[in-house]
Amino acid sequence: MSMRELVTGGAACAVPGSSSSSSNPLGALANALIGSSSKTQERLREIPNAAAPTSDTQFYSQVDDSVAALPGSELDRPFLHSNAQGSDFIRGLRSFDDNGLADAWEEIQRQPHLDHLYDPAAAPIQPTLDGPPQRVLSSFLHSFVDSSRSGIPLHPTPLPLLGLSQGDKQCIRDRSSIMARHFFADKSEDFINAQVNALLSSLEIENDVRARGPVPGRFRELEDYWNESQGILKPGARSADGWVTEFSQYTAQHGDTNAWVRSFEQQHGASSWASEFEQEQAQLTSIDHLNGGDVANLAAIEQTRMLAHTLSQNDDPKFQVKPASGSWATEYQQQYNGGGTWADEFVHNEVFRGPDQWVNEFATERERHEQADDQWVNEFSKLHVDDWVEEFGHQVGEGILGDTSSDNWANAYDEFLNEQVAAKQRSDASSGVYVFSDMNPYVGHPNPLKEGQELFRKGLLSEAVLALEAEVMKNPENAEGWRLLGITHAENDDDQQAIAAMMRAQEADPTNLEVLLALGVSHTNELEQAAALKYLYGWLQHHPKYGTLAPPELGDSLYYADVARLFNEAAQMSPEDADVHIVLGVLYNLSREYDKAIASFKTALKLKPNDYSLWNKLGATQANSVQSADAILAYQQALDLKPNYVRAWANMGISYANQGLYEQSIRYYVRALAMNPKADNAWQYLRISLSCASRNDMLEPCDSRNLELLQKEFPL
Amino acid sequence: MPVFKTPFNGYSVRFSPFYESRLAVATAQNFGILGNGRVHVIDLSPTSPIINELIAFDTADGVYDVAWSESHDSVLVAAIADGSIKVYDTALPPHSNPLRSLKEHAREVHGLDYNPTRRDSFLSASWDDSVKLWTLDRPASLRTFREHAYCVYSVAWNPKHADVFASASGDCTVRIWDVREPGSTMIIPGHENEILSCDWNKYDDCLIASASVDKSIKIWDVRNYRMPVSVLNGHGYAVRKIKFSPHRRNLIVSCSYDMTVCLWDFMVEDALVGRYDHHTEFAVGVDLSVLVDGLMASTGWDELVYVWQQGMDPKAA
Repeated sequence: MSMRELVTGGAACAVPGSSSSSSNPLGALANALIGSSSKTQERLREIPNAAAPTSDTQFYSQVDDSVAALPGSELDRPFLHSNAQGSDFIRGLRSFDDNGLADAWEEIQRQPHLDHLYDPAAAPIQPTLDGPPQRVLSSFLHSFVDSSRSGIPLHPTPLPLLGLSQGDKQCIRDRSSIMARHFFADKSEDFINAQVNALLSSLEIENDVRARGPVPGRFRELEDYWNESQGILKPGARSADGWVTEFSQYTAQHGDTNAWVRSFEQQHGASSWASEFEQEQAQLTSIDHLNGGDVANLAAIEQTRMLAHTLSQNDDPKFQVKPASGSWATEYQQQYNGGGTWADEFVHNEVFRGPDQWVNEFATERERHEQADDQWVNEFSKLHVDDWVEEFGHQVGEGILGDTSSDNWANAYDEFLNEQVAAKQRSDASSGVYVFSDMNPYVGHPNPLKEGQELFRKGLLSEAVLALEAEVMKNPENAEGWRLLGITHAENDDDQQAIAAMMRAQEADPTNLEVLLALGVSHTNELEQAAALKYLYGWLQHHPKYGTLAPPELGDSLYYADVARLFNEAAQMSPEDADVHIVLGVLYNLSREYDKAIASFKTALKLKPNDYSLWNKLGATQANSVQSADAILAYQQALDLKPNYVRAWANMGISYANQGLYEQSIRYYVRALAMNPKADNAWQYLRISLSCASRNDMLEPCDSRNLELLQKEFPL
Repeated sequence: MPVFKTPFNGYSVRFSPFYESRLAVATAQNFGILGNGRVHVIDLSPTSPIINELIAFDTADGVYDVAWSESHDSVLVAAIADGSIKVYDTALPPHSNPLRSLKEHAREVHGLDYNPTRRDSFLSASWDDSVKLWTLDRPASLRTFREHAYCVYSVAWNPKHADVFASASGDCTVRIWDVREPGSTMIIPGHENEILSCDWNKYDDCLIASASVDKSIKIWDVRNYRMPVSVLNGHGYAVRKIKFSPHRRNLIVSCSYDMTVCLWDFMVEDALVGRYDHHTEFAVGVDLSVLVDGLMASTGWDELVYVWQQGMDPKAA
């Protein structure tokens, strides 16, 4: 930056970015005035800040240079201030004022500057630094930034008058507070506050409650709530900042943004609140406008996690290549279609939100209803839930709130409850708790294990599940019963239940190799690398032949690379052992090295050509590596070996969908569903394929799970 | 390797998606705490190690980020600390610039990302806790996404799904959004401390990386975000920005307040592939060229922009 540009306005005003001064009438004048000295200045300016002098005397001894340190800082504002400190040059420039330069300058200032036009608010907060103070400020900020590395606390330093405007001070306060938390991350909150305070007090900036909080974790909802309850909501204005800061001071760290929620819960009890809510729900049904997702929020924070978690678990890696091309978001959407938009709201609620959000919503709703009952709002703002309930019941009784389409809301709520129950069950399953079916007809059966095996062989997997559940209820220590139950669930497309059952099998028999392998595969399907590695390593450890390969100390910290290396060694030891190649294939799926995985499975298939589940694994891997056509051949092999293999039928459908053959994929999904109507995933994929194939006429039968009609429409 | 000196502290650097030798640099005076800003458009010379400045645009407040338009080779957008977004066209005469000033954010705009698949829209992340969606043919934003409870530092479009993007915030979460949906689709409470940056893998549309003040980088699979796919430790201070390689699936570049730029292979055990310590101040901007495999650029508060080939020494003349 040079004097030339300073005057010509290269940086300053009408012609930002101009490299030539010819367009500016002042340019020639400036050239004549400044001449070659600008080059010297330019070089001076290139001294990096790091080398900037650090004592006041030095700042002031470099007065001329300091003018050059002003690049562009004069944008949109008067060039000089009354408190300008002694630069000869500036004084010289000012003397030109009498000669009309000032007029020209004013003219430039008045030119329609785009920034200015679009940005009327920007002008008043421009820095009003003149040369030396600018340098002082720069250096001081540098020492502030630098103190993050030295670890030496910044001490308040008396600085010369810098002439900072209120806006400047606000910028410094807010930005330094936010940034300090990034570069002092290692330090305690006290240290950070001390640093920021030292900076601010040196610059004579009050770090008062009007500051935009230095504490991360401001609580927007509270702020809005506060605004609304006080009736002073000014859209766009952050008028409540001071209040928020005050609030933030009580929440030392952003982990504590929930503190408010917690204290609320402590006061009123989350569950009691929820149950109170449930009692009131009959009344609540009369207001369809009241957004259910928000109402349920407090009780639902935990369930939100569970449902989100459920969403994620349904995305099995075998479905990694998404059926509905270009729209995995719709897939997520599909997961909670049952709940409709209402459930959407619910799912979208964030973890941090507490009941206050609900308060907002409610307050807003009330505004919409134009029931500006101040006393009510005040009452409410005290957070007396009991009062609120009474009050609300009162209002409902008076019929103040709308009562249209209450049935919709009630239905949605029922659906929501059902979904919550389902989510809870699945969440239990994922945490390793096996969830038994209700009303099991096989309880009391003389030999449920044998019955289960028979049903499994016939491919009646859902029935087999019931029989095997009856078996393990009878004999909870029967590892084989649990194992078979796990395999049945896996083939029936329910990995969470499969894992839960297999974990029970492993409890009963910790060294069963088939169980360990199955657990490894199921966890791989769920993309849980650490758990998968644990079980695959366990398989190796307990294998009579390869146990010696596994050093016991490795079990504590398993790395993918170590486990893969060990299995490669095992494969070299006995290249004819199909199991080792299978595990290797699974491992390569974990690391997404699909080509290697395919090779391993193919090797295993040469040794075990009749293993239908192995063909399915090969197919799934090929599908994952975008070889859907090959995958179909592999699935076909699996189905030739086991015609009632539900998982392979469903996978086949996915592969066809991936190739855009939706009509074909529908037939396979329907076939899979005919064998296991409980396969929720398959229903969702069927729905996607139906819409992709523009068979919207069949969406209703799909939603109502009318298999008979679907089978008639889509025979295979 | 070429070096470019900026008068202000560097904040962000981005390769042009149209010209392999062109970059845009965002800078701010006084570390962006107070003062002006400038956007530099610079060109590498094929023969000499000199970087030429094609044009520069001055702003009345610091510039925190820039993003090139994906549809017009001369257009770029800049995130200004005063809450505005300015649109510049390097092909137009200076008096026509900025083309537009979009002022809606109540506070500093800290991150921008231009939609690489639709090419007609871009996102802005702001310290007013919101993300906004814009197109150049409209004077006002299309949508505002408000859910984060603290500053939003960065946004990134999914490379495959034109409607899906992620945002990283000081509220310690990464959120996944679909612009067709009313709220966020997914919340990843990824770190114990503020999250400053996020980016999607360019080869696997389900993988996303987050970088935090807690010094770590985590890779997530959005289909299962209970556990990160990988955690990359090695930076000594907050990790400021991350980018997945457009050329190599498993490669990530990061820059940090520990003044280094690091390269990682997140699939291997010893993930740290390379560390560059050429900056003498916080390294806050980094980018990888889409057009040239292995070409990297970084900028920092030492007022320098480095452009170098991966594996080379950025400081080597």
